[in-house]
Amino acid sequence: MTDETPPEQPPFDEAEYRRRQRSRANLMGWILGGLAFLFFFITMARMVVPK
Amino acid sequence: MAQSLTHGETALPADWRDLFALTKPRVMSLVVFTALCGLLAAPGNVHPVLAFSSILAIALGAGASGALNQWYEAGLDAKMKRTAGRPLPAGRLDPQTALQFGVGLAAFSVFLMLFAANWQAAALLTVSILFYVFVYTMWLKPRTPQNIVIGGAAGAFPPLIGWVAATGSVAPLPVLLFLLIFLWTPPHFWALALFVRSDYAAAGIPMMPVVAGETSTRRQILFYALIMAASAIAPWPLGYTGALYGWAAVVLSAVFVLLSVQVGTRRTGEGDGMRPEKRLFAYSIAYLFILFGAVVADHWWPL
Repeated sequence: MTDETPPEQPPFDEAEYRRRQRSRANLMGWILGGLAFLFFFITMARMVVPK
Repeated sequence: MAQSLTHGETALPADWRDLFALTKPRVMSLVVFTALCGLLAAPGNVHPVLAFSSILAIALGAGASGALNQWYEAGLDAKMKRTAGRPLPAGRLDPQTALQFGVGLAAFSVFLMLFAANWQAAALLTVSILFYVFVYTMWLKPRTPQNIVIGGAAGAFPPLIGWVAATGSVAPLPVLLFLLIFLWTPPHFWALALFVRSDYAAAGIPMMPVVAGETSTRRQILFYALIMAASAIAPWPLGYTGALYGWAAVVLSAVFVLLSVQVGTRRTGEGDGMRPEKRLFAYSIAYLFILFGAVVADHWWPL
């Protein structure tokens, strides 16, 4: 009988995990901030533009 | 939050670069440009913030369509050299993330258009996204060599949406611009399909050169180039544009037809470099950019 060993996986890279998490959190922050500004300016623009 | 690259129980979050690549940024540049030209060529003035937001909505809608297209075609993309490096077939992103990203972006783009412009533009944007995903990607592309002829309508929407975002109504000129992109799509894509034919054949996509053969494809490129040239020039004699656009359309279309004649009348052998086809493909992109630039220039400085 032979022992079946599962295929070896590379070690989990926690630094890469944290880097990606941080980069996505930063990006999300910038996008949400940008959208807040955009929606504010759209509202202002719609108030000055006659229907 | 969506995750990718599963590693046992733990998963790495998707990299934003892969999500960006999912939106087909190069295709998006042409979409944004033609939409901007449609918006700028429309009568009246649009508030810069509302114009920017409308174009952003169109760009996000195009990005969402690209993401949903890549989600659906991940299996096919893996079989083609040209697309095997995309995030999904390369395994850098999981399909669930791509689907959530595409649907979320599509919904947001329509909401932004509704908020910044009008319901007519939002409705057109919705139709263009649904048409690209359901009619072109899921229905036509895997079934018929006419896929890009009918599916070309999806890429023809942006100038029409830009115009409607600015005015709230449809007019003959943006419809002619829609027709121009619609007729431009077959020679543009078939020129590409001729030099990546083996890729499409390997993936089992019934592109025209794979199904009907090279000779028939070349003849059809020439046919579509001729009617495209007629539709490109049409706005001038019909009185919707001036001489500046008219002469630009005449000269640029003449070159397009000449390059199409080269492609349409030649035969290739083993190891052919396909230079005329590559030249036509590259020129077709420049053609659309310059012609749409001429629409705006003509609107601003009529001769």
